[in-house]
Amino acid sequence: MKLLPKDMYGELENVLGENNISQEPGVLDGYAWQPIFSLTAQKWIPRPAAVALPETTEDVQAIVKICNKYGVKFKAHSTGWAAWGGPSEEGELQIDLRRMNKIIELDEKNKYAVVEPYVCCGQLQAEAMKVGLNCHIIGAGPNTSILASTTSGWGYGGTGLSTGYGGRNPLGVEWVLPDGEVLKLGSPGCNAGWFSGDGPGPGLRGIMRGFSGTQGSLGVFTKCAIKLYPWYGPKEPKVDGVLMDVQTEVPETEKMFWIVAPSFEKFADLAYKIGNAEIAYWFCRSPLNAGIDLFIPRAGDRIFESKALRTMFKAFEHLGVALLSSESKREVEYQEKVLRKITLETGCILLDLTKTPGYGFWWWTMGVRSILTALTFRAGGDFLTSYGSPMEYDNAIKQAEVAMKVKQKFIDEDYFKDDMSDIGWGGIYEGTANWGHCETAAMFDRRDGRAEGRQRYLEESAESTVEHTLGLGLSNLPPGAWKIYGPKLFNYHLWQAKIKKAFDPNSTGDEEWYVPSIDEIQT
Amino acid sequence: MSRLAALKNDMEGCSRCSLCKWIPMAQIKSWRFAKVCPSVDRYNFHAFSGGGKMIIANSILEGRSELNEAISEIIYKCQLCGACQVSCQAYRDDIDLADVLLALRAKCVEEGLILPEHQFMIDSMKREDNTLGMQKCDRGKWADGLDLVDVNTQEVDVLFHAGCRFSYDEDLRDSVRNWVVLLRNSGADVGIAGKEEACCGGRAFEIGYQGEMRNYAEDMASRVRASGAKLLVTPCSDCYYTFKYLYPKNGLDLGVKILHTTEYADSLIKENKLRPKKNVPMRVTYHDPCHLGRRGEIYKSGWSGDNKLLRPVKFKQTGNMGIFDPPRNIINSIPGMDFVEMERIREYSWCCGAGGGVYEAYPEFASWTAKDRIVEAKATGAEAIVTACPWCERVFNDEIEESGEDMKVYDVIDILAMSMEGK
Repeated sequence: MKLLPKDMYGELENVLGENNISQEPGVLDGYAWQPIFSLTAQKWIPRPAAVALPETTEDVQAIVKICNKYGVKFKAHSTGWAAWGGPSEEGELQIDLRRMNKIIELDEKNKYAVVEPYVCCGQLQAEAMKVGLNCHIIGAGPNTSILASTTSGWGYGGTGLSTGYGGRNPLGVEWVLPDGEVLKLGSPGCNAGWFSGDGPGPGLRGIMRGFSGTQGSLGVFTKCAIKLYPWYGPKEPKVDGVLMDVQTEVPETEKMFWIVAPSFEKFADLAYKIGNAEIAYWFCRSPLNAGIDLFIPRAGDRIFESKALRTMFKAFEHLGVALLSSESKREVEYQEKVLRKITLETGCILLDLTKTPGYGFWWWTMGVRSILTALTFRAGGDFLTSYGSPMEYDNAIKQAEVAMKVKQKFIDEDYFKDDMSDIGWGGIYEGTANWGHCETAAMFDRRDGRAEGRQRYLEESAESTVEHTLGLGLSNLPPGAWKIYGPKLFNYHLWQAKIKKAFDPNSTGDEEWYVPSIDEIQT
Repeated sequence: MSRLAALKNDMEGCSRCSLCKWIPMAQIKSWRFAKVCPSVDRYNFHAFSGGGKMIIANSILEGRSELNEAISEIIYKCQLCGACQVSCQAYRDDIDLADVLLALRAKCVEEGLILPEHQFMIDSMKREDNTLGMQKCDRGKWADGLDLVDVNTQEVDVLFHAGCRFSYDEDLRDSVRNWVVLLRNSGADVGIAGKEEACCGGRAFEIGYQGEMRNYAEDMASRVRASGAKLLVTPCSDCYYTFKYLYPKNGLDLGVKILHTTEYADSLIKENKLRPKKNVPMRVTYHDPCHLGRRGEIYKSGWSGDNKLLRPVKFKQTGNMGIFDPPRNIINSIPGMDFVEMERIREYSWCCGAGGGVYEAYPEFASWTAKDRIVEAKATGAEAIVTACPWCERVFNDEIEESGEDMKVYDVIDILAMSMEGK
């Protein structure tokens, strides 16, 4: 086991106090267990040499400077779910940001909140709702850090239609660079408050996160102003139940529909028309067979054995869910009229969920709080996701179609649970923008020791996005993805490598999920 | 295979989603009261969370790290409140997190990693049949003057088991006396074992001395048999959990119906045999004791197998079948009560801090945890916390005395007694 240099540990201890740093092997293994997006045959990711728990930006700054001084790489994470949050090799320092957990400001008038890294989406949403606002929650769920998905990652949430995606929502940002300097992006950069990410003050959003985020490989984000959006539902919803038993009353201004399209193409048309009509708060493709795996996985095993039932569920393959929401009943009635017209025009079937028993369950767990994703663990204990390029929505839907064929091969080889292959999930962003996202999940039990097949699936799915010109599949991005995509996408990685060198001259930030410095690539 | 090794598949199922650190996501109502695990909230390293302890267990089993004093401290700085299991099992069918936590403690004892405060409890149990270091001959003193039937000499229909804390804690004496008087006044043919009553053994099991519990269970079973009782009633949440969950899980059957006193009183009110009449104008909130609530859920026996992914969900210990409504029903039956709920309630309640041997070994951590609950109670505007567990009452009262907080603590029977005629 690699340890930090003794003097370095002492310096860190002086900064943080002895209770906020540890090199106890059992404690460190808590940071070496990261099954999600770790598909190698190794069960554990590399164990850090120590873990540090900063409480302030100054603490983070001091830690990073000490790492530079001793030439020890660091990796920071906030809520810390997935392999990219951990170190890529032994001997690194893990920075766990969970003590930085405050909502510093919630500006109702200007619709933003300033948060620290360990504020989870569910916390911010609950506080924002109290003043009639809402935040974007990525599909991974409300247990994830809103700062992390906004500054450092990718991901789509069902409200993307009205809240964009993570990368669209950072305003002012406080960033401890990999050399320990603190940079404030946007308006906080000239002490003008947190309302803007691009100025007054330096506007480096493209470098900070670009298209997909750097997964914490280019320093540490210590504060971020998150853009908030109108929330028309109750300010303090009364919800009973924990998950599957959730019940709540839904205002008549919140209406939800299932819409079944006859084909991939028609589903994309439906989405475009919803976007162009500027209706709906939430819209997302959610195949029924995926729902079976989430809610009744054991029954699903039997159901999918039946050819007749497979045929029946196939009829609901192109299922989308739409939520209409407004302050005004008349506005929702208008939106419903438009939705019904669009449904007819595209040859779809519409089911009014509002009239079904237990409607509150769907509204709250799916439409509002986005808490159903983690149910994917019920089927096999683990899942991965693939494809998911944010781009023109018909291309995103095309990814689901391609994914279905690629994935079926691996289901046939028993690497994934049989889920009728297509569980492409995702919707359109920002109304008339006409772009969107569709990623394909796959469920499995990682305890079967057959990681190699799943790794191969990810590689094949990445190759298929190139072969079918489907764009950069963000969900396919394994460590070192630049090696696959860089040469095929205008050598983007060389630009990133130059950025890496400029911002991290000592290569102190763990770059496994980003790119190495240009010097290293050229040698 | 050791208990711990038998749970390896559960440990390897952990996705590190950290849902075990939060109340169920559907229930988050604020930034302030979203957390559910006192251990990780106080000490911060992931290892202190439910998932983190599963990773530690797996690491030990694989020989990656050692079970040493530092790690045993992490294992014991946990109230075993079970909140992590509730949040985990909302999503997972194949992980019994609470079992891993208990197995880790058994491993600590096997390896001789014993805390002196816990050793004191065990010694006291062996010597005096209680966890508190008190004398066995004083156990029945709480009932002096009540003229209760002694089940050691006479058969009864209902055996009242006071438990260690209620038997010896003089600050709580009125509560336990009022409970048994209520039973007697309702017409129950009730008796107590007095100084012959012994600890249920649940605390021994929780701190890792799992074999010890069997002795106490067998003693309890023989006492129940000898008493002729058809019903066992206890006002102690810990004992209730031990009787309803730990005994059957370990193949021990008392052969008698078991009720918590709040269940008993609730049924009396529903049957109109008990009518709270006097106005008690007070704004109160209710704290769900972990061992009566989520952990008071009856053991769901009947499934065995290696692959928990194939286990029908009805066998999951989700915690939602614990005792939540009876105490609330009683409070709501009292005229003048203004009952308000805290944010973290029922199976996702925040722990009082006393459980799992924390009160004895790490009193500062127990106080810290209790303080968080008192803050939450104050946020409702309540002037009193009502609860149904002597351990919760003890730690809340200690913290209030220490901090000077303006908050009262009552057992459910205390407010019920205020509302009864002639009280």
